[in-house]
Amino acid sequence: MNVIRKIVVPTLAASLIATSAIGALAENVKIGNIIPLSGPSATVGQQGKAAREMAIEEINAAGGIQSLGGAKLELLYADSESKPEKGVAEAERLINTEKVNVLTGCWNSAVTYPTTAVAERYGIPFVVPVSVSDKITDQGFKTVFRIAAKDSWWTRDQFSFLQDMEKEFGTKVEKLAFVYENGDWGKGFAGQWKELAEKAGYQVVLDEPYPSTATDLSPVVQKIRRSRADVLMLVSNAADAILLTNTLAEYKVDLKAIITSGGGHADPSFLKAAGNSARYLFDIVEWETDVNKPGAKEANEKYNAINGQNLTGEAVDAYVAMYVIKDALERAGSLDPAKIREALAATDMTSGPGMIVGYDAIKFDATGQNENASLVMVQVNDIGNGLERITIWPKSARRAGYTPVFPMAKK
Amino acid sequence: MLFIIEDSINGILMGSIYGLTAMGLTIIFGVLKVINFAHGSMLMVGMYVTYWVVVLTGVNPYLAIFIVAPVMFLFGYYLQDIVIKPIFIAEKNVREPITVIIVTTGIWYILDNLVLLVFGPQYRSLPENPLRGQMLQFADMFVSVPKLYGFIISIITASAIYWFFQKTTMGRAIRATSMDREAASLMGINQFKVYNIAFGIGAATAGIAAVTLVPFNNVFPTVGVLFDIKGFIIVVLGGLGSIGGALIGGIIIGLIESVGPQFMTATWTEAIVYGLFLVVLFVKPSGLFGQKNDW
Repeated sequence: MNVIRKIVVPTLAASLIATSAIGALAENVKIGNIIPLSGPSATVGQQGKAAREMAIEEINAAGGIQSLGGAKLELLYADSESKPEKGVAEAERLINTEKVNVLTGCWNSAVTYPTTAVAERYGIPFVVPVSVSDKITDQGFKTVFRIAAKDSWWTRDQFSFLQDMEKEFGTKVEKLAFVYENGDWGKGFAGQWKELAEKAGYQVVLDEPYPSTATDLSPVVQKIRRSRADVLMLVSNAADAILLTNTLAEYKVDLKAIITSGGGHADPSFLKAAGNSARYLFDIVEWETDVNKPGAKEANEKYNAINGQNLTGEAVDAYVAMYVIKDALERAGSLDPAKIREALAATDMTSGPGMIVGYDAIKFDATGQNENASLVMVQVNDIGNGLERITIWPKSARRAGYTPVFPMAKK
Repeated sequence: MLFIIEDSINGILMGSIYGLTAMGLTIIFGVLKVINFAHGSMLMVGMYVTYWVVVLTGVNPYLAIFIVAPVMFLFGYYLQDIVIKPIFIAEKNVREPITVIIVTTGIWYILDNLVLLVFGPQYRSLPENPLRGQMLQFADMFVSVPKLYGFIISIITASAIYWFFQKTTMGRAIRATSMDREAASLMGINQFKVYNIAFGIGAATAGIAAVTLVPFNNVFPTVGVLFDIKGFIIVVLGGLGSIGGALIGGIIIGLIESVGPQFMTATWTEAIVYGLFLVVLFVKPSGLFGQKNDW
């Protein structure tokens, strides 16, 4: 009996106090976040959590949501463990039990896809910072808003970039060579490249898949050399990216540009292992720490001071998502899900502390996709500080004072 | 035509290096009658040893052979002596002890993960390597200098091992053991010492192969796996236990890999290599230079 009194009574009292505390701050806006906090994608989930917290802290410190009487934002987390069924169950719980006003998540496209259906059923707005699968915004849902670029836009942006470069430097590109790892990823990219090349009137002189486990890529490099292509486009994993880059330099393959697709070319050890052979190549990424946007550098420094690492593309999307929600709430002036949804749909965010992405405005199209979302192209070059990745495209995000090298200079 | 010559040269050079990576495998099999699944990992260890020797002392990558080969010999010698020998003793009445194969698989996993733990997953290549990217150029034809050195080293190594097996007392003892270990033991040959030495030589050739690879390839914890699979195919193609066979088998694979892609996509050459592997198994299971009758 004593034991029960000792444990149960204080616990009850504590929970009563807690409940009343929440009651007193009832105007808090609850944001439910379903992200992978454990399991195979945990590192990305943790980055997303840290970025969200950084944004919320800033928003609350700046006075919360003015139109809701200074209401504070409150984050609730649910761990998806990267499992679709877990994501769905947590969405139900967050909506029914926790009564969240907005949902965000889930990073893994496979989780986001079924989870957004739950939100749609209850009419709760669901902001997807980043989950790249095209089909998430192709469901005809009214409550889904995605900030990051979708899958098919990576290849689209590689081509827009190439065309912009041609215009900017007055160099004509005619012949393209596609060389890609022989997996889903590489083949998917190559399929889209072929369509885009046809549409843009380029001639494809080489279309070559290769096994990522290859121990000698000089035969492939020979084919590239003999194809006399102007521009080489690559999809590679890490080991083959290094091998290809070095072998291309050895055979002195004469190209105007090499455009790569992240992955192996974005691997932290790539620059070190490929060294000068990697110079001048162009890589596509979601975000780079040097994007020329007000606040980007400061946000990265702040994030780095707290978490000991630089902001990643995923973290930036999560960070920006909080500001998008804040902006919508401000305009909605209500916690009614339908009003919040309407406000989100009317989003047109061009400035403010959250806008550290590489493009100029966040605006959702009818499917809920951020129609301006674009990727960033970087060039590997040494401008006195050793080899580094320098943001060059879109032009508005280009690092101040840097002129891209196009066509590629001889090494 | 020029293309075919250029590609054939690359194929022969690269193929001889493949042969060298497989040579240790064939030696160990010939003597111990055991497929050493850890061979790729020994190659990987050799690559890390080479990498660190070159980075820390700054010697010419090829001079590292004189450090890497002895280190790898001792590594192989004691690996066999400490880890594998007890299993052999426990199964001394079995002609081809399966458990040893399982142990070598264990060694493979342990080595790969140990290196991953110690050195991390990074891809490394020699910094400031004067050999990297060096090419001989004849008109429009390129020949990679590091591969040419690799070819020369492969030929020298194969010849040296062949000479050692034919002419020295220890070499004869190794051959005797590989033919009939009972009879060899009766003649006063210490079977386990021979095993240690054979394993040591196998590891040392993996080390030499590693030295030839490091100047133009990446070093990372699972690099051995890429060469492992090729090694098995080469050894079967050339004949299990045959040193010259390993070299020729390697060159055949190298030629297919290098000339093939000019007529088809590079992924198809893999299919051809595996197809050839199957054909050899069906038509001539002893390989090109293997002995028809098992001893």
